[in-house]
Amino acid sequence: MVSLERAGSPNRFRSLIGLTPLSCGLFCTLLTNIPVSFLGGLVPPPLLALVPVYFWCLMRPDLMTPVVVLIIGFAEDVLSGGPPGVWTLSFVLTYALVARYRDSFAGLAGLAAIVGFAAAATFACTAAYVVVAALAFITPGAHSPPVGSSISELAMTVLFYAPAVLVVSWLHRRLVGASRGDV
Amino acid sequence: MANAWKIARKGNAQLPLVIVIALAVVLVLLGKAQGGLFDRARGHATDLLAPVLEKVRAPVAGFDRWMGSITEIFSVYQENLRLKDENARLRQWRNVAVVLQGRVGRYQQLLHAVPDPRMNAVLAKVIGRANRPFLQTMILDAGRDNHALPGEAVMDPRGMIGRIYLTGNRTSWVILLTDLNSRIPVTISPGNVQAIMAGDNSPMPALDMVSHTVTLHAGDQVTSSGDGGFLPAGLPVGTLVSDGSGRFRVALLSDPGASQDVEILNFSKPPETPPANAELPVEAAGLKPEAPPPAPAAAAKPQTQPQTQPQIQPQQPGQAKTAPLRPGAAPQPETAATQAQGETEGADR
Repeated sequence: MVSLERAGSPNRFRSLIGLTPLSCGLFCTLLTNIPVSFLGGLVPPPLLALVPVYFWCLMRPDLMTPVVVLIIGFAEDVLSGGPPGVWTLSFVLTYALVARYRDSFAGLAGLAAIVGFAAAATFACTAAYVVVAALAFITPGAHSPPVGSSISELAMTVLFYAPAVLVVSWLHRRLVGASRGDV
Repeated sequence: MANAWKIARKGNAQLPLVIVIALAVVLVLLGKAQGGLFDRARGHATDLLAPVLEKVRAPVAGFDRWMGSITEIFSVYQENLRLKDENARLRQWRNVAVVLQGRVGRYQQLLHAVPDPRMNAVLAKVIGRANRPFLQTMILDAGRDNHALPGEAVMDPRGMIGRIYLTGNRTSWVILLTDLNSRIPVTISPGNVQAIMAGDNSPMPALDMVSHTVTLHAGDQVTSSGDGGFLPAGLPVGTLVSDGSGRFRVALLSDPGASQDVEILNFSKPPETPPANAELPVEAAGLKPEAPPPAPAAAAKPQTQPQTQPQIQPQQPGQAKTAPLRPGAAPQPETAATQAQGETEGADR
C-alpha cells in the first residue's frame, strides 16, 4: 500500500510538469492580452505566447505538441478580440515551420538565436496578416489591414524575446529539464 | 521512454500536425461564418477578468499620466495661451449656439416637427484598452446588466468614440471608429453630403462612398447621419482634413486614448414597417379608403361639386398636406384634416 502511494505521487507530479509548456503559453497569452496600455497605445503588445511555443518546440517537442499549440493559439484568438482563428492558424503554421527545420533552429546561439526567433516571428506575423487580408478580400467593402501595425508587433515581439526566453529557460531548467528522463 | 521520445520527434508527429492545421483552417472559416460563438466566449472571459482590470487600471492610468506630464511640462506655457484663446472663441460660439437652439426649438413647435427620439445614456468607465494589429478596442465596465447593448454609440465629452460590438454581463467591448472593421454612415456639413466613414487602423478614418459630384473642403463638420437606424443622427464625429493626395480623412473630435469616462447612448428607434401595397397611396396618407365606384345611374347625375375643391382649404399648422394626394376621391376635407391632425399628434407622442 505504501509503495503504491509512493509510486502514484511522482506520476501525478510528472503529469503536472508535462503541462508546464501549456500553462506557460496560456499565462503569456493572458499577460499579453490584459487590455492595459502602458504607452498610450502607441505600440501593440508583443506576442509573448510565441516564445514558449518556439522554445519548447525546439527543446521538448513531445511536450509542446501541435494540440498544445492549437490551444494556445485559440486562447490568443479569444482574448485578443481579433478575427477568430487567425492566431491559431498562424501559431500552428509557425510550429510546423520550426519543427520542420528544428535542427537548424536549435543549433543557433547568442545573437543568432534571436535572429532565428525573429525569422519565426516574422513568419507568424506574415501568416496572420495574410489570413486577415484574405478575410478582408472576401468581405465586401472591407479594407486590407495596414502593414505598419503588424511590423510594430513583430518588432515588439523580437524586442521582448530576450527577457521572456530567460524566464522560460529558467522554468525549463527548474521544472521540465529536471525531469527530462521521466516525462 | 527513449523510444517514445524518438517517435515524438520523427514521423508520427507529422500526422497530428496535419490534422491540427486542418482544424485551425476550419476554425478560421467557422469564425467567419459564426462569429457569435467566439463573441460569447470573449464576453465571459472579460466578465471574469473585469475585477482584475479595475485593480490594474488605477496604477497604469497614473503611470500614463506621469509619462504624459513629462512631455507636457516643457510646453505648458504655450499650451495655456492656446487654451485661453480657444476658450474665448468657444464662449462666443456657445452664445451663438444657445440663440440658434432656441430658434430651432420655436420652429419645431410651429411646424409640429417630429421630435428627436429620446435617448438614455449609461455612464461607464474605461477599464481596458487594446491596440492590436487587427483590432483597436476599449473595454467598459457596463454590460447587459446595465442595459448596454451591441450597436449602441459610445461618446466621450467631445464626440463619438465608437460602437459597442460585444457585451458581457458586466463588461462591453467597444470597436473604435479608427478600427479596421468600423464603418458608420455620416453626414458632412455644409452640403449635407452623405458618406461612409471607414476606419483603417490609422488615427484618422477615411471616407468611402462619397459622390463624385460634390466638393468637400477641409474643416467641414462630420456627424453621424442616422441612416439605417442603428445610430442617432447628429452625433459629432470630427472634421475633414486633406491627406495631401486630394482625398479627405476625418480628424476625430474624441480622444480614445485619453478617455476615462464615457457615455453609452441607448438609442431605441422603433422600426418602421412599410404599409402593405393594398394600402397605398390613400391609406398610407391617413385618409379613408376610396368609395366604391358609383352605379351607372348615379354616375349619370350631374356632379354638384368639383373634385378639386378640397385644395382650396387653407392649410393649418400641423395639418399634413394630404388633401392634394387624393385625385378623384370624394371630397371630405374635414375628415381628412382631422385624420391628419390625429396622425401628427400621434407622431408627437
